[in-house]
Amino acid sequence: MKLLKTCFSYFLCVCSIIIIAGKNTIIAEEREPSLRYQIWVELDDQDKMLYGKEEIVWMNKSQDAVRDMWFHLYYNAFKNEKSTVIEESKESIKQFGINVKDGEWGWIDVTRIYLADGRGLTPTMEFVTQNKPIHPDDQTVMRVIFPESIMPGGEVHVFIEFQSKIPRTILRSGYYKDSYFIAQWFPKPGVYEEGKGWNCHAYHLNSEFFADFADFTVHISVPEKFVVGASGKQIKAKADKESGKITYTYEQENIHDFAWTANPDFIKIERDFIADEEITKEEYQEVARMLQLPLDDVKLPDVKMILLINPEHKDQIKRHFNALKAAIKYYGLWYGPYPYETVTMVDPPFRTRSGGMEYPTLFTAGTSILNSKEVLSLEGVIIHEFGHGYWYGLCANNEFEEAWLDEGINTYSTGKVIAKAYGQGTIPAYFNRIPMNWFFKFPKYYDYELDRTLGIHVVELDPITTYSWKFFNIVSYGLNVYQRASTCLNTLERLVGPETMLRILRTFQTRFRFRHPHTQDFIGIVNEITGKDYSWFFDELFFKTLNFDYGISSISSKKVKELVRGVFDINGKKEEVTKEKIAKKEAKDKKMKKKPVYLSKVKVRRFGEARVGGESDLKIMVVFEDGSEETVFWKGQERWKEFVFTKPVKAKYAQIDPENIWLIDSNISNNSLKLKPSRKESFRFIYKIIFMFQNSIQFLSALS
Amino acid sequence: MNIFKVFMTGFRTANKKAKMLVYLWVINLLFSLFAVTPLYFLISKEFSRSFTGEQIGIGLNMTWLGDFIYKYKDFYPAFIGWILVFMIIIFLLSIYLNGGIIGRIVSEDERITFVDFLSDCGKYFPRFFRVALLTLVGYFIVFGLLFYAVSQLFKVWVRNATTEWTLIISSNIKFLIALLLFTIVRMFFDYVKIRLVVEDSRKSIRATLLNIPFIMRNFFKAWALFLCVGLIVCVVSVIFILVNSFLPRAGALLIVCLLWGQFYMFIKIWTKLLFFSTEYHFLSLSGLR
Repeated sequence: MKLLKTCFSYFLCVCSIIIIAGKNTIIAEEREPSLRYQIWVELDDQDKMLYGKEEIVWMNKSQDAVRDMWFHLYYNAFKNEKSTVIEESKESIKQFGINVKDGEWGWIDVTRIYLADGRGLTPTMEFVTQNKPIHPDDQTVMRVIFPESIMPGGEVHVFIEFQSKIPRTILRSGYYKDSYFIAQWFPKPGVYEEGKGWNCHAYHLNSEFFADFADFTVHISVPEKFVVGASGKQIKAKADKESGKITYTYEQENIHDFAWTANPDFIKIERDFIADEEITKEEYQEVARMLQLPLDDVKLPDVKMILLINPEHKDQIKRHFNALKAAIKYYGLWYGPYPYETVTMVDPPFRTRSGGMEYPTLFTAGTSILNSKEVLSLEGVIIHEFGHGYWYGLCANNEFEEAWLDEGINTYSTGKVIAKAYGQGTIPAYFNRIPMNWFFKFPKYYDYELDRTLGIHVVELDPITTYSWKFFNIVSYGLNVYQRASTCLNTLERLVGPETMLRILRTFQTRFRFRHPHTQDFIGIVNEITGKDYSWFFDELFFKTLNFDYGISSISSKKVKELVRGVFDINGKKEEVTKEKIAKKEAKDKKMKKKPVYLSKVKVRRFGEARVGGESDLKIMVVFEDGSEETVFWKGQERWKEFVFTKPVKAKYAQIDPENIWLIDSNISNNSLKLKPSRKESFRFIYKIIFMFQNSIQFLSALS
Repeated sequence: MNIFKVFMTGFRTANKKAKMLVYLWVINLLFSLFAVTPLYFLISKEFSRSFTGEQIGIGLNMTWLGDFIYKYKDFYPAFIGWILVFMIIIFLLSIYLNGGIIGRIVSEDERITFVDFLSDCGKYFPRFFRVALLTLVGYFIVFGLLFYAVSQLFKVWVRNATTEWTLIISSNIKFLIALLLFTIVRMFFDYVKIRLVVEDSRKSIRATLLNIPFIMRNFFKAWALFLCVGLIVCVVSVIFILVNSFLPRAGALLIVCLLWGQFYMFIKIWTKLLFFSTEYHFLSLSGLR
């Protein structure tokens, strides 16, 4: 028996090992990046140059034989006025235009490219434009042709030597005096898509980026005066006394971009996010319950937080870390643990125009010397940019083609985290860079309210799913992919319920970690988790330009007359009901205190083109003078519908969508209609306007 | 000439002739009502039967703000036109009323009647209108040329800034300079208007030219006097804002808030009287030279 027990235990043990090993292999296979980088880069502070060497190992994971390789050379976007970015900026709204002064251009030159065996690829180099023929002279995408195709499962080992002139910051990357923020700086292969080829768009004004997951080792040599921060984990710092330079080595697995910054004035502070101190047992239990996951699956690891901050913002160190802790906590609890050991938060160096931008394991925040604690701009930007570590960093969608997948989901997520950690924020107001919030009370708001206020204005311009550079203009791009998408997701949350929404996003995040999801993947998960087909929701609100607006068109309540004038056939006789007869009847009813009956009619209308679909419908609530309620539902497919109620009391008001589920509704004010107007509140508002006008008269009269 | 004494004399005159305050306040209120009435009907029509209307009265709220902007997005040009038209009307109205104010301050008759006030408004309107045009020239010289030149120096300073402090300090110094320059222009042309009334002259350009040596001779005293009254406006405004933040915004006590607002308007109009009366006494005591 003992032997049998031992054998059985042994058998179980072996099975477990096999299962665990098998599972790990699957994860490892799925997550093993197809790319490895080793980059050596040297900063020439005097001439604002970068001198670099790059070693790339790319594995062909597709079933295609790949003959060429496409690289992003993003710095060439700042080379001349023929680049896509500059040309698009000329066509853009003036305020978003790019004005490069003489001597401030930047560029990247690939001086040599060759294979590990020494065979040169330099002669095959050519600039290509994936989006022909709009900007034919753009040089932000380069193609090289291999001597022979890379077969499925095969690897190619490429060496690149390059030098770059750092621009005086134009878009996110560059220098100001001796401060640097270096992003999109090295030759970066596009993403190979099986059957389609390289996905490698030019650098566009209205777009961010797309790249494959890779393991990075980067050696950054800078003069010793600089404090450096970079993606990943610093593993080495080697000083060379002769050259006066220090070489910092950073490593990070499974990221798809690498950015760094150098500034002599940075204060570098490191703190730990200790999960056990930040999250209570009850919070874990609550999240596990909502996500329907075992407790252990929602447990978070500790994270090293690194802050590089300018001395003038030293008094805001605590605010920076508090916001980052809130972000790590809630993103981690809701969407899955942060998988990297470090996160670097950079207070962007003065005038490097690099604030509010995300890179894997590193992001830039942005603050001012003078600011109000009531205004959550700083917290908002930290939470949002850290959040991109999830939506863009881990779920790495193509930001050129489906920007809403990271910007929209992350704007939605940011709002949730801010609301949970801080509550409402206050509208910021500055005069000459002095916060007016110090002196006056300004309205408070939740992010979802602001998102809706902004998002509804661009509904009819472009579908949310438009390619980034193909939006009507930069405003349509911004408001559609950020605010409108966030508003649609908030609407979806109200439709499916907050816990289901949480499970949708958790599933989407965990399933597509270290992968490149598409809109259809998201829709698939929504359908899977809800168990219903929500494709109509995306068809109406994401893929089309349909305004969503349902409202109450009219409401009336009229006494039902038992007698009406005219001639009627009663018992085979013609009998006339006269005014006199009616008056007599009414007097009699009054005497007998007979309660009148009212016929209340409520007409609802679909003012917009968008319709609700699937199993969803619109709730219509009618409240009567005695406080009683009637609720009816409408599928909302027709243009209008009338609902009739017969009750012994008059209707007081009617409301469509009383729970405000359809946040995307562009006109919430027509969602309710009272039988009798109340002008008291309008008067209060108007008094404020009158007072403002009186003051304006005084102010203007001072000019004459 | 003691500035404090001039100030006190002006203070007494402004109080003696405070009846004008009622006229000016009523005109101010009626004109505001007239301008805002279309908006009231619009708000009433659109929101008085909606729950959104209830939120409007409480204060700025993202929901109704979004609805409002979305609904009237095609009416921005009309809205801007409405603002511009009323700005021009206010400009002309204030020129008109200045005639009445200065006319009554300068008048030896201490009894103020609405008829006399209006008659002064009408009498001095053409000459004050010419002064207003000259004021625009003054603004152009001071802001279009002088301040522009000063701004260029700031631009050079800011261009090489290494910290945000430079921007904060420079923009606020620039604002202060602009404000002080504005007070100088405003003060200069106040004296031109008073001179025209005192001398009962129609020659605006002559009065302006005559005013130059007067201001140059008495610049610091005149400016100090002007800034003293300006300081009162600032102090009153700060008190208003502070008290206002504690007042109830709802219920029956809302009336306190409304009255406090109108009291503030009253005081602001009174300071206008104070500006002109102190300047009149300063000019008189200087012998119009």
